[in-house]
Amino acid sequence: MASRYDRAITVFSPDGHLFQVEYAQEAVKKGSTAVGIRGTNIVVLGVEKKSVAKLQDERTVRKICALDDHVCMAFAGLTADARVVINRARVECQSHKLTVEDPVTVEYITRFIATLKQKYTQSNGRRPFGISALIVGFDDDGVPRLYQTDPSGTYHAWKANAIGRSAKTVREFLEKNYTEDAIASDNEAIKLAIKALLEVVQSGGKNIELAIIRRNQPLKMFSAKEVELYVTEIEKEKEEAEKKKSKKSV
Amino acid sequence: MAATFFGEVVKAPCRAGTEDEEEEEEEEGRREMPEDREVRQQLARKREVRLLRRQTKTSLEVSLLEKYPCSKFIIAIGNNAVAFLSSFVMNSGVWEEVGCAKLWNEWCRTADTTHLSSTEAFCGFYHLKSNPSVFLCQCSCYVAEDQQYQWLEKVFGSCPRKNMQITILTCRHVTDYKTLESTGSLPSPFLKALKTQNFKDPACCPLLEQPNIVHDLPAAVLSYCQVWKIPAILYLCYTDVMKLDLITVEAFKPILSTRSLKSLVKNIPQSTEILKKLMTTNEIQSNIYT
Repeated sequence: MASRYDRAITVFSPDGHLFQVEYAQEAVKKGSTAVGIRGTNIVVLGVEKKSVAKLQDERTVRKICALDDHVCMAFAGLTADARVVINRARVECQSHKLTVEDPVTVEYITRFIATLKQKYTQSNGRRPFGISALIVGFDDDGVPRLYQTDPSGTYHAWKANAIGRSAKTVREFLEKNYTEDAIASDNEAIKLAIKALLEVVQSGGKNIELAIIRRNQPLKMFSAKEVELYVTEIEKEKEEAEKKKSKKSV
Repeated sequence: MAATFFGEVVKAPCRAGTEDEEEEEEEEGRREMPEDREVRQQLARKREVRLLRRQTKTSLEVSLLEKYPCSKFIIAIGNNAVAFLSSFVMNSGVWEEVGCAKLWNEWCRTADTTHLSSTEAFCGFYHLKSNPSVFLCQCSCYVAEDQQYQWLEKVFGSCPRKNMQITILTCRHVTDYKTLESTGSLPSPFLKALKTQNFKDPACCPLLEQPNIVHDLPAAVLSYCQVWKIPAILYLCYTDVMKLDLITVEAFKPILSTRSLKSLVKNIPQSTEILKKLMTTNEIQSNIYT
């Protein structure tokens, strides 16, 4: 309650912290979990669906948004900030296409978003954007990409990552389970994303939303039924693994 | 003096006391009007902390611990600590409410403990029916700086007994934890302890490192216990989620193995279920974060 809000927005503290940027990263943790996985021929984005109020239209609460035909992103944090960033990124994608007659590379649009975020950590009167984003897609060269940005404006490429609430738990799960076998096929990569989310999502498959991009194909959002099918398959595999374990111990 | 980004000069608070020049200026302007005195008295009355008896809702004539003998006192301050005690301790025995504290300040007004909704602030005192010298306090309201001493007086009295053991549980945001590392790399939530000189038992978690600064009511209780040589320990959970959160509440679990709480806790799996139910009923719909 008696916290000292005596740090001006974009001024360093004596020990070198930018407190507003660090607090913005706390805002990211208030959003529900999002996970991104880079497979061999596929990129997967999975998010924990926020519980929607009874009278609210579910279709207007989306965490996964397409930025262009070949790039999409998932975010965690302040909804309104995300809307602004996504709009700017979408305009930039089209502007780039019209100017140089080539679609943006995933790295280009990630750098654009990260630069935008960084500007807001160094401007007077503004506050940092309170969102982290996972940006996935395929470049013209056919290589799958996954990038993550955070409120400070840094961006890095990842093989798999998670953002939002319980991101640490999901990341630890991915560190243990992201193997060459796990991403060998498209289905395996999708299952890995769902398994990672099931570690932290409270009521199972019906609270998970999934999107994939395959090489040279547009973004595909999974329906609830399709997600359920994968969840059932995962549960079956789990049961069989447990049966084998108990047989071995006997 | 410190300069803010916009160029204003802000006087940084100085604990050495005010400078001499200022005192002279203050004395000149100090002639108080009767209206000012009236307003000040009204405000003091409004900010009074009252301890009420449960059944009759009348104020207690003496302090709580002078009226009832106490060997063990567990105080939970903040909604996560309160949820922990509700699920793990209060469900493992029969607790009877002996009184509640009523107060008002700019941040909160305490509600009646009989028809509480989960979001309302309250401060209730309970004792164990099978062992009435074991007390419990659940305080989910904010007690302002000027009210903390009143709260202590009404609860402990002006000359407290020394043969009781106090355990305080509270939460604090991880950004309050002083460290060279970035807060993002800390394994929050995590538990730290701070104890008075007379507390001889071992703590179930590491002690809070220097600068070991604690705030608000927990600090007031700990200071009071240190001055009166009462053994007391504060378990402080640093978390990155200040609202009611399952993982934060579960971070208090190591305390269940300490001497003061071990005898009070019976059925841990059942308590975990009760805690989960408490969480789901408290989920507030918000569209700010996605």
